[in-house]
Amino acid sequence: MRAWLAPVAWVVLLVALAALLPAMKPLFSWVQPGTNNVIYTRDSFYLLLQSHIWLVLMSATIGTLVAVSAGIFVTRPAGRDFLPLVSQIASIGQTVPPVAVLALAVPVMGFGEKPTLFALVLYGLLPILRNTLAGLGGINPAVLESARGMGMSSAQVLFKVELPLAGRVILAGIRTSVTINIATAAIGSTIGARTLGDPVIAGLVNGNTAYVLQGAVLIGLLALTTDSLFEAVEKVSGRAFLSSKQS
Amino acid sequence: MPSSTMPPNRVLLALALAALGLVWLLNLGVVQPNRIVSGTGYGLYGATGWGGAIIVSSLLLMVCVLAAKPVHKRFLGLAALLTAALMALPLLLEVFALRRLPSDSAYARIGIGAGFWCLAFFLALMLLEALGQIKASRRLQLSIVLLIVAGWWFCAGREGLSSLSLIREYTNRADQFSQALTVHLSLSLGAVAISAVLAFGLALAMVRREHWRRPLLGLVSFMQTIPSLALFGLLIAPLGALSAAFPVLQALGIRGIGWAPALLALIAYSLLPMVRNTYVALMEVPEAVVDAGRGMGMTEQQIFRQVKLPLALPVIIEGVRITTIQAIGLTAVAALIGAGGFGTFIFQGLGQAAMDLVLLGALPTVFLALAADAILSALRFQETSK
Repeated sequence: MRAWLAPVAWVVLLVALAALLPAMKPLFSWVQPGTNNVIYTRDSFYLLLQSHIWLVLMSATIGTLVAVSAGIFVTRPAGRDFLPLVSQIASIGQTVPPVAVLALAVPVMGFGEKPTLFALVLYGLLPILRNTLAGLGGINPAVLESARGMGMSSAQVLFKVELPLAGRVILAGIRTSVTINIATAAIGSTIGARTLGDPVIAGLVNGNTAYVLQGAVLIGLLALTTDSLFEAVEKVSGRAFLSSKQS
Repeated sequence: MPSSTMPPNRVLLALALAALGLVWLLNLGVVQPNRIVSGTGYGLYGATGWGGAIIVSSLLLMVCVLAAKPVHKRFLGLAALLTAALMALPLLLEVFALRRLPSDSAYARIGIGAGFWCLAFFLALMLLEALGQIKASRRLQLSIVLLIVAGWWFCAGREGLSSLSLIREYTNRADQFSQALTVHLSLSLGAVAISAVLAFGLALAMVRREHWRRPLLGLVSFMQTIPSLALFGLLIAPLGALSAAFPVLQALGIRGIGWAPALLALIAYSLLPMVRNTYVALMEVPEAVVDAGRGMGMTEQQIFRQVKLPLALPVIIEGVRITTIQAIGLTAVAALIGAGGFGTFIFQGLGQAAMDLVLLGALPTVFLALAADAILSALRFQETSK
């Protein structure tokens, strides 16, 4: 239970701040004197937070499904031929900056939520894919041999041995992917997605530091909250797989 | 290897068939009346006529045949064929411009369609697979990449492609482009250099004082967790206040927006991979080697310079590689706070809905990242094999 204390505290702080920011008008008037518009009001911070989280959650779900299935496919006998190419794509693809992927999605799909989601999924699945391959590839062949020797079917070996053993490494990949995607989704504001990046971009365009601060603080808090959630999940699942290979 | 045992290569077969389908389904190119209007798309046949359609299709079918048939040295042939195809790819756009560009309109331009990008992407994947099959050396891989870049460079300079909107956007801002390149490189490389020095000191401190390890690593990984847009945004207010309070800083160009917050944020992001890799590299030097050095009568200084550092270098270079790639990407984001660089084109283009201006910013950013990856990987490889 103690593992969940920190993430719960972060969540409370994030939600409270999203609610209280509009009430901190005097503070922001001090940051940005000379104007009456010191609180971003085009959308409520809650709405932006919600939409930001939704984008990241969707992309993480789709990305994990695609990447883990692809990772499983290329490590089965039927798909083994594709392994070298897929692992090369996973590592070369991560060289491409996420902001470039975001920008390149626009000529293909136009502005809005859709290209942002597309870019997040596409870029986010690479670290998951890479870690899935590393996790499945790092399992001691003797373990698989003995599982088969016990009479397990190949599906049983996959679900009862391989995936649990690779789980920690895959989870680390998902963590990397989500961290990157929270940052990239914020930049998604520039291509028309509604995220916590909106106040920052609006503030930069209008020279309003108060807007920038409001967006930046919430984005930073969201990232820290998510990170501490993953930390807790890793701690809890780490106890379950204490005997498995250290990453 | 006896030819009868060579199985068909399913990877190339699948890639070639997918490319064949996509290149016929998607638009190869677009004719735009001016820079903002989206224009009319043309498929492979519409864009290049029967000649181009037959050449492209038969090339892809030939890959299918070679992938399926156990021909002697087929992968070597395939690699050569695919390299040549990639080099000559811009010629398709030249033929397209020749056939479809209205000659009476000064503002008309041609844009690159999804079909062309897919074709280029799939050809590159097939080449990657073929090179993997012949176990090509790094040198051969690098020469092939250089050949392809040279081919595209040559085609881009030809008169026939001057109506390509990407090239038009470039010619309109050739000066700004080279300026963006300078700013982008100096910001990202400057941040990498500064953080390398800082990280080296921090890693040394961690090696010497074990109890500094946890707080230091905690601090640098905390900074890496903060999203770039947030960190850039958070630095504006304090730097702006500092600059307003001290006119000296203002004279140096340090303000809330511009290169100063960008450089600071880039350094903060660069510290984690640098510190972690340098620390791990120094710690992983085997104790036996260090002992052997002591046995030979080397001083601690000599052991550090002549034994530990050379052994740790490949892992340190790997840290520099990760950091450089990351810094090049983040510098593009820093354009949002007025730091300049290729991001300026990206965000300007997004603001004006001018897609080719977006490309003019995004493609060089990708290219710089890939080039940094190639150069530093080669360097690390060389150091490892010493």
